[in-house]
Amino acid sequence: MEIEFTLNGKLIQVDVPPHWTLLRLLREKLGLTGTKEGCGIGECGACTVLLDKIPVNSCLVLAPKVEGRSVETIEGVGSRTALHPLQQSFMDHGAVQCGFCTPGILMSAKALLDRNPHPTKEEVKGAISGHLCRCTGYQQIVEAIEKVSEV
Amino acid sequence: MIPTFDYKTPKTLREACHQLWEAGGKAKVIAGGTDLVIGLRNGNQNPQLLIDIAHLKELRGIEESDGILSVGAAVSHSEIASSSLVRQFGGVLSDAASEIGSPQIRNLGTIGGNIVNASPAADSLPPFLVLNATGTVVSQKGEREVSVADLIRGPYETALQPHEILARISFKKLSPEIRTSFVRLARREAMAIARMSVALLVRMEEGRVRDIRIAPGAVLPIPQRLEEVEKCLMGKSIDEALLRSASRKVSEVMINRSGVRPSTSYKAPVVEALFVRAMRLALAG
Repeated sequence: MEIEFTLNGKLIQVDVPPHWTLLRLLREKLGLTGTKEGCGIGECGACTVLLDKIPVNSCLVLAPKVEGRSVETIEGVGSRTALHPLQQSFMDHGAVQCGFCTPGILMSAKALLDRNPHPTKEEVKGAISGHLCRCTGYQQIVEAIEKVSEV
Repeated sequence: MIPTFDYKTPKTLREACHQLWEAGGKAKVIAGGTDLVIGLRNGNQNPQLLIDIAHLKELRGIEESDGILSVGAAVSHSEIASSSLVRQFGGVLSDAASEIGSPQIRNLGTIGGNIVNASPAADSLPPFLVLNATGTVVSQKGEREVSVADLIRGPYETALQPHEILARISFKKLSPEIRTSFVRLARREAMAIARMSVALLVRMEEGRVRDIRIAPGAVLPIPQRLEEVEKCLMGKSIDEALLRSASRKVSEVMINRSGVRPSTSYKAPVVEALFVRAMRLALAG
């Protein structure tokens, strides 16, 4: 089926089978492989994207659901020459190890700071509570997000 | 990999009911999809047609009128958790909605979906039971009201016909002197299915219990209230000894209804402790 939606600020039309998830559409048809598939059943948060500015698990969203809506993926955050402050802060704090959970966590962190530029530590922890990271133990991730919220 | 199906996005609830009726049991409705998409993926659900009802305005919004709070079935857990109306008039539901799944799941998942999925561990069911909530069920054939308690028939089984849609859930607004609490235990704090929970509503008058409703979650095949325990507490003033004997009654009723299982030696003392915690929380609130 033909669907139309805003992807990273650009209106696009794409033909997609209705049983495809948004995650599959992004990765396999649109070539946006920054969004990762972890568990595929909404448990790990690796596939998190923003749907109308709100973090969702793209593995649980069927593609037809994004018709007329706005989707933001990690490819829409910063650029190679101008990193988003969160991306720079993740590098500065060593908040990335294997990197598989990173794009998803960045999307949740960005959604948090976009609506609440100065969250408390508890709010930061709450915002990333839907993400599993098996490398860092979260400490550096929380610090990286807090650092951006201070400026 | 998910097998294929057709997909429809009706513009009104009436149109959705018509499409569902026409499909003759071969269609499913989809709202948030947080349970259904997993069912499609693992083969437990094989619809030929999905009818998307998440956006229908008849199923949206939180409204109050004549002492009743009405919540659209397609309202997300996040929307419920951040609603000041629900916080004020049905706090026990706010508490549960804010702990379901993860932030991403709460943004997608809907309250109606949590009910009709009918998981024994569904976090919204114990609160709706203590709120004596009612569902409005609509179909091509008309509309009916059914209590949430009667909607749930068994684990993952509801009283809905294949052509019926749960449209709204409503309950009487709680007055300020009514105290509620919801306590939940899971393997980790975030992003885990409830191992056990207790929802509670209590109204004290002159130091005595005038009204009490207790519904545990994830310890009974069907979420139910514990009338036997409620009866023990009615009219009494609460002290430590009464709390202790009532908590023993909680595990006794659980065992009566669920039977002795391998998990019972763990669940019995824990459900007792959760009940006591819920009582203290409600009375302190």
